[in-house]
Amino acid sequence: MAAGERISGRCLCGEATFEAVLEDGAMHACHCDSCRRWTGGVYLYLPVEPASLSVSGGGARFFQSSAFAERGFCAQCGSTLAFRHLDGRSADVSAQAVEDCGRFPFASEVFVDEQPANYVFAGARARLTGAQSQGLIGAAPTAEAAHV
Amino acid sequence: MSEPRPIRSGGCLCGAVRFTARPGPHMDVCHCGMCRRWSGGAFMGVPVTELVIEDESPLGAYASSDYGERAFCRNCGSSLFWRMRDGSAAVASLQAFDDLSGIVFAEEIFIDDKPALYSFAEDTAKLTGAEFMARMSGQEQAGG
Repeated sequence: MAAGERISGRCLCGEATFEAVLEDGAMHACHCDSCRRWTGGVYLYLPVEPASLSVSGGGARFFQSSAFAERGFCAQCGSTLAFRHLDGRSADVSAQAVEDCGRFPFASEVFVDEQPANYVFAGARARLTGAQSQGLIGAAPTAEAAHV
Repeated sequence: MSEPRPIRSGGCLCGAVRFTARPGPHMDVCHCGMCRRWSGGAFMGVPVTELVIEDESPLGAYASSDYGERAFCRNCGSSLFWRMRDGSAAVASLQAFDDLSGIVFAEEIFIDDKPALYSFAEDTAKLTGAEFMARMSGQEQAGG
């Protein structure tokens, strides 16, 4: 449960899986419009080392959601799997796809400026706007990846 | 009884799936293992009536139990609907609506399956999976 740990995950139906190496060993939540529409809730993610991410299985697909990034999912069951920048600067995976995900600390919430009024997470942690989280990319690579 | 809520529009991330539906007044979060894996977070569902999908061809459906299915966009992977396979009930993703306003977070279900990872701050009614299924037996809507 720490940075550098190799983890694996799978979709609901089992037709898509991933493996990756954790970057900061923590979980983060993204409230951006795209992540909320994509997940049907709030995207809860684990930053991973971009080069370490492999997504495999007959159901695995990627959707390019912007000029910069793509989103991995299972085309058989619709499960959310991963997000990565096309240039390799950041990548992350769905925490909920990993067994025993309750062990990860909830370290930050990003794109809080796009969070609707319908829900709030309990507890105190770093809360960053989209602009603030994008500024971190490069300065503090991928700890809080911007999901655009 | 309150006035019927107006029909609202919604869609997936890429726009291939567009729909209209009449949302109920409340949203619930389901913490069951299936909803968590499927959504990649915490699925926020709104019971809807009069669901009309403009073009079903991009819609995928996964039968996650012998009575329920999960519908999603096969192009972008957005999680959109949980619905009874016999068409008797449907729950839409809150986040798929173009206008989320006024839909109140009232309930968390399968609370006994929630990991320690996160909690919500709202004062919601919390039901275990067994409590939820017991309440829904005899009603038309159930998770699965």
